[in-house]
Amino acid sequence: MRHILMALTICVLAPTPSIVLAQDHLPDKAGVAATLGKKEYSPYVGREFPTRVLWGDTHLHTMVSVDAGTMNRLGQEDAFRFARGEEVTTTHGLRAKLSRPLDFLVVSDHAEMYGLMPQLLKGDPEIVSTDPGKRWYKELTSGDSDKIFATAMEIVASLSKKEPPIKSDNAVKHAWKAYTALADKYNEPGRFTALIGYEWTAIGGYNLHRNVIFRGDASVANQTVPFSQFDSQNPEDLWSALAELEEKTGAEVLTIPHNGNLSNGRMFKVETFDGRPLTKEIASLRARFEPLAEATQIKGDSETHPLLSPNDEFADYETWDRSNLDGTELKKPEMLQWEYARSALKTGLMLEQKLGVNPFKFGMVGSTDSHTSLAAVEEENFFGKHSGVEPEPDRWKHIVIAAPDSKLNVMGWQQAASGYAAVWATENTREAIFDAMKRKETYATTGPRMTVRFFGGWEFTDDDTNSRLPAGVGYAKGVPMGGDLSGDAQGKTPSFLVAAMKDPYSGNLDRIQIIKGWLDSNGELQEKVYDVVWSDDRKPGSDGKLPPVGNTVDVENAVWSNSIGSPELIGVWRDPDFDPSERAFYYARVIEVPTPRWTAYEAMRFGVDMADEVPMTTTERAYTSPIWYTPKG
Amino acid sequence: MLKAILKEPLVHFLALGLIVFAVYHVLNRSNQPKPDKIVVTQARIEQLSGLFTKTWQRPPTAAELKGLIDDYVKEEILYREALALGLDIDDTVIRRRMRQKMEFLSDAVIDLLTPADEDLQNYLNANPSKFGKAPQIAFEQVFLNPDSRGDRIEEDAASILEALNSHAPGNATTLGDATLLPYELGATSATRISRTFGPQFAKAVDLLAPGAWTGPIKSTFGMHLVRVNKREPGRIPALSEVRHAVKREWTQEQRKKLEDKHFAELLKRYKVSIERQPNAAAEPEASQ
Repeated sequence: MRHILMALTICVLAPTPSIVLAQDHLPDKAGVAATLGKKEYSPYVGREFPTRVLWGDTHLHTMVSVDAGTMNRLGQEDAFRFARGEEVTTTHGLRAKLSRPLDFLVVSDHAEMYGLMPQLLKGDPEIVSTDPGKRWYKELTSGDSDKIFATAMEIVASLSKKEPPIKSDNAVKHAWKAYTALADKYNEPGRFTALIGYEWTAIGGYNLHRNVIFRGDASVANQTVPFSQFDSQNPEDLWSALAELEEKTGAEVLTIPHNGNLSNGRMFKVETFDGRPLTKEIASLRARFEPLAEATQIKGDSETHPLLSPNDEFADYETWDRSNLDGTELKKPEMLQWEYARSALKTGLMLEQKLGVNPFKFGMVGSTDSHTSLAAVEEENFFGKHSGVEPEPDRWKHIVIAAPDSKLNVMGWQQAASGYAAVWATENTREAIFDAMKRKETYATTGPRMTVRFFGGWEFTDDDTNSRLPAGVGYAKGVPMGGDLSGDAQGKTPSFLVAAMKDPYSGNLDRIQIIKGWLDSNGELQEKVYDVVWSDDRKPGSDGKLPPVGNTVDVENAVWSNSIGSPELIGVWRDPDFDPSERAFYYARVIEVPTPRWTAYEAMRFGVDMADEVPMTTTERAYTSPIWYTPKG
Repeated sequence: MLKAILKEPLVHFLALGLIVFAVYHVLNRSNQPKPDKIVVTQARIEQLSGLFTKTWQRPPTAAELKGLIDDYVKEEILYREALALGLDIDDTVIRRRMRQKMEFLSDAVIDLLTPADEDLQNYLNANPSKFGKAPQIAFEQVFLNPDSRGDRIEEDAASILEALNSHAPGNATTLGDATLLPYELGATSATRISRTFGPQFAKAVDLLAPGAWTGPIKSTFGMHLVRVNKREPGRIPALSEVRHAVKREWTQEQRKKLEDKHFAELLKRYKVSIERQPNAAAEPEASQ
């Protein structure tokens, strides 16, 4: 009864959304060229392209998530307040604050038994009257941390079963409405955007999970409830259900997959969910709903793997490759090609040739997937994957994920303090951010907030690197990250303008690289990493490799110096191996100089000695969305 | 600490004694002629039946309903007996459950609060830093890249500065080096400037008077020549501009206040003494 009352009250109190914003219309090439050509005093008058990158997290859990709720006492409101830059007190009683606010946040609690945890912990009779509810309640409130962790793991495992252990449609509906009202309350156009979303958490062990994000407000999102894995464990069913929702209600949604690295060969495979050859219909459905992939987060980096990219010396970054998500199946090398973003982008070219549609034509974002309600992945301010590994002297050796065979347990030190989503939106609103995500004008970083621009076209010249407004030239002469180059090359070579500026709070930049993937004339998929522009006047060696930038990290004191690297890099690159008949994609990767990893800060702060296997330095990076080249015809 | 106490034989002995005493007391009481009364009301029966229906998606049969009622009676008896034995006193689950129930009471009250405009206006006035528009600075900047200019940078800065201050406007967009930093920023707060240019630069720009080009000013990126075009003092916005945020923050604060006040009232009824032993005092802090 109280819940009904509360839900009603929230509905009544929730302000009616009064701001209706125009969809953002990006100017075309001719439009920007005209703007620049005008003889205004300032070329910036009337410019309409995105000028300030927005930072956010598209993937964050609070106590409303059934797994997080076992250990985390911070709710969705705390999550919004923290992301907006306010100080909150963590589950463990520490004061926490971000170095700088985020511009947007998606609180994406698990769809499965949405909101059940807080109600379970409140001892809601409807839930505690069930057998698992009663037992979980008892164990979670026992005050015994081992018991609580074991129960948490049991609840996580229960998410993979076909039937929910506790089913209460009313509880889900009330919790969802309470959440959407809260998101509306914290959404402040121009200052902070609270996008509405949830996570569909299918097949826990193989991590086919997707975050579902809405463009609209509560009035739109309330026309549905989160689609959960108990509705279906098949992502194709999720997209179909969302297509139906869009048609029926006019809602607009997108989905973002994550942790391909823990899917054991399932995330980007060339078959349907149940193993039949991929069809054009399903590929189209995927292409429609999945403009982005989450390429980096706390549970490891999914850009590429050293076995897939043996010539890429930066490939082995925060790699989690021993098993699937819950450690119930060992990883085999042949699984990797269906897991990582770069490999999937390549597979997409092949599928496009075959089906006429590229199901893996996605851009990149990073996000945290933190279960602490805190989007905190700065190396010196890292609050961990879940509340069992929040800051304390021994957390580096605590278990993050318990596997049936303890050899496959994931330990605290293996967590990556990563990542954030950077979005080139025209303004800080739900609509503008959603639209920028749809056109893939985004990039991923492993935590630092470096600014990255990436444009492709046919006419960029070295002189463009001297422009006082690189973005103006970029939009005037080409397409931004996420865009397409079409096949009327006519003897021309694609050229790319790429520029990056360091995060003023983080390390200098080592280099910018462009990564090309293509389908060659023999039908083989290829990839190559090109160094485009770098710091410190280095010369590539005889093997064509640029020497390392060096390392100034003083691990013991957890400091580094920006005496190496550059604050800013800009370059124009033309593809030396271009063949106009071959499908290709290009994306930029920006590498920072080495800086202390979170473990180094932690060892210094708590005065603990960590095992030798624990890495103490990191090379942070950014991955832009690709620009695709498709031959004509 | 607690574990150590639990291992103490004296504690075991006392606990055993208590149980014997309690059981004796209960046995004695149950011999009393006048039994405690348990009434299962029609409302209670409907609640039991309703809960069953929700779980099983059908009403209980007569036999099931009898089972539910019998079970309720059994639970009620055992609950009363457990209370009589004082079993609730040290049970973590019960303690937390009761605490949460108390906290929900104030939650429910908050949900029903509707602030008057006057409340919100007062809150806005009392918290200028929360809602006030910070002072804004509008400026242009010309960037000098230390990587490409090396030792010449100071010299170059001086000559560019002179050019900027002597020539017709317009040069500023062609002088200096390429950068992703914005050439021109409209009215922007120091905090926001710091997020793009770094704190060092933001602090320096905050001290500049509007008018001429000055510099160079150092940032984490290199050197900058800067002209402040306009400074806007901070101001407190009208309630209508920020009502949404003020109401949200007001509610948040009322909740906190109510909780604290409620607790302070309760605390008055108790005399709390904390018997920390001198050499045990450091222990809790060590784990922070």
